[in-house]
Amino acid sequence: MRVDLWGTRGSVPSPGPETIRYGGNTSCVGVALTDGSLLALDAGTGIRNLGLALPVETTRLHILLTHLHLDHIQGLVFFEPLFRSQAEIVIWGPASPDASLRDRIGRYISAPLSPVEVRELPCDISFRACPEELEIGSARITAAPVAHRGPTLGYRIEDGGSTLAYLPDHEPALGTDLGTVDRDWISGFDLAADADLLIHDGQYADDEYPEHLGWGHSALSHSLAFARRTAARRTVLVHHDPLHSDAWLDAHAARAATAWEGSGGARDAVELGREGTSYEVDPATGEFSLAADEPAAAIAAPTTLAPR
Amino acid sequence: MSQKPLELILARNLISALSTPAFLVDENGGIAFYNEAAGTLLGKGFDEVGHVGPSEWGGLFGPYDASGRTIAYDDLPVVRAVRAGRPAHQSFGVRAVDGRMHAVECSAFPLLTAAGSCGAIAIFWPAGDDFPAADLDGAVAGGERNGATT
Repeated sequence: MRVDLWGTRGSVPSPGPETIRYGGNTSCVGVALTDGSLLALDAGTGIRNLGLALPVETTRLHILLTHLHLDHIQGLVFFEPLFRSQAEIVIWGPASPDASLRDRIGRYISAPLSPVEVRELPCDISFRACPEELEIGSARITAAPVAHRGPTLGYRIEDGGSTLAYLPDHEPALGTDLGTVDRDWISGFDLAADADLLIHDGQYADDEYPEHLGWGHSALSHSLAFARRTAARRTVLVHHDPLHSDAWLDAHAARAATAWEGSGGARDAVELGREGTSYEVDPATGEFSLAADEPAAAIAAPTTLAPR
Repeated sequence: MSQKPLELILARNLISALSTPAFLVDENGGIAFYNEAAGTLLGKGFDEVGHVGPSEWGGLFGPYDASGRTIAYDDLPVVRAVRAGRPAHQSFGVRAVDGRMHAVECSAFPLLTAAGSCGAIAIFWPAGDDFPAADLDGAVAGGERNGATT
């Protein structure tokens, strides 16, 4: 399994000289499974670059949306494969008693917000409410609601003996003490338990959190407590606040590393996600480590593609 | 997975912050959690009691109707809320660990999700000190009448 970070910013795209190293694109992670199947986790503006990196031979892709806030779907209408007639795109997302997934996403891909309508897309596109368990390619995927504003899913992806947990928007500490509460009562616990790679919300510093209580995101100490309780082997914090510059995030990363190691955690097991970085499973150890090449190079490699 | 449904987790987090006695019942009718205010009312915190199965309620707290009879499990408002998927309300007495009786008004409402009911919340309002403890069915002989003591 290979994991590519195409967008690590939260809330709103934040391009500019202050956000070059961690990136300004919103949530999107590409996952190349061991059988070559390809997933996109969320469709923030980062998915635009993922689409541009896909060779035209790629015809089938699954997009798993955690929820429908704009920073997780904004890139959809700029995702180039949607405009390929030979492409088959399956979009999964949280169910709602209110309207179908297609209709809810259609509120964005329609006038006046979009120049195109869903029905005009030339690809073969389908929308499916995500069940608790599903299999895509070689992966077994578990989806479960997690604590955020509005219906929101987290995902657990098990493939080739390794596990990726993806909870980019998550406030598990809202109203509870993650250090003491029983594990059954922690939002998202089973999704992340013993994950080899946990991609988790890390939007706020602890001193910023009181002003954002209930906004659906985590303070650093909450993210670390969640990682500690779930025994994730490696944790990547994402959903960076749009007001946080590279320099601020460098300091945040240092705080995270110090706190993690101070609580007995392994060195280098917690870091901040940077747009453009990739993680690969080492077949010998089953552990994720930083990949040497860029995400685009990995996606373009024929071995990671999903031929129809 | 053994994890509780998110709706139940969020409900627990909510009632944990309330000073009103409140209980959380799971989809099977067992007490999944009650808050500190309820623990004060009953004389024992949830940490000491733990999950209470449907058949264990009566032995712990009653509850009792106005004539002192134990209210059948199936008739409790919170159980009706879980099963019928609609709110329920009832006045009754509960017995604290020390034997004292508390008259309460109980309002229960179901927690409905896209997948169906995952439980219910019951909120107790202290209702004065006129509960007829002397008529109880022997379980609390000598129990002290005591209403709104929370």
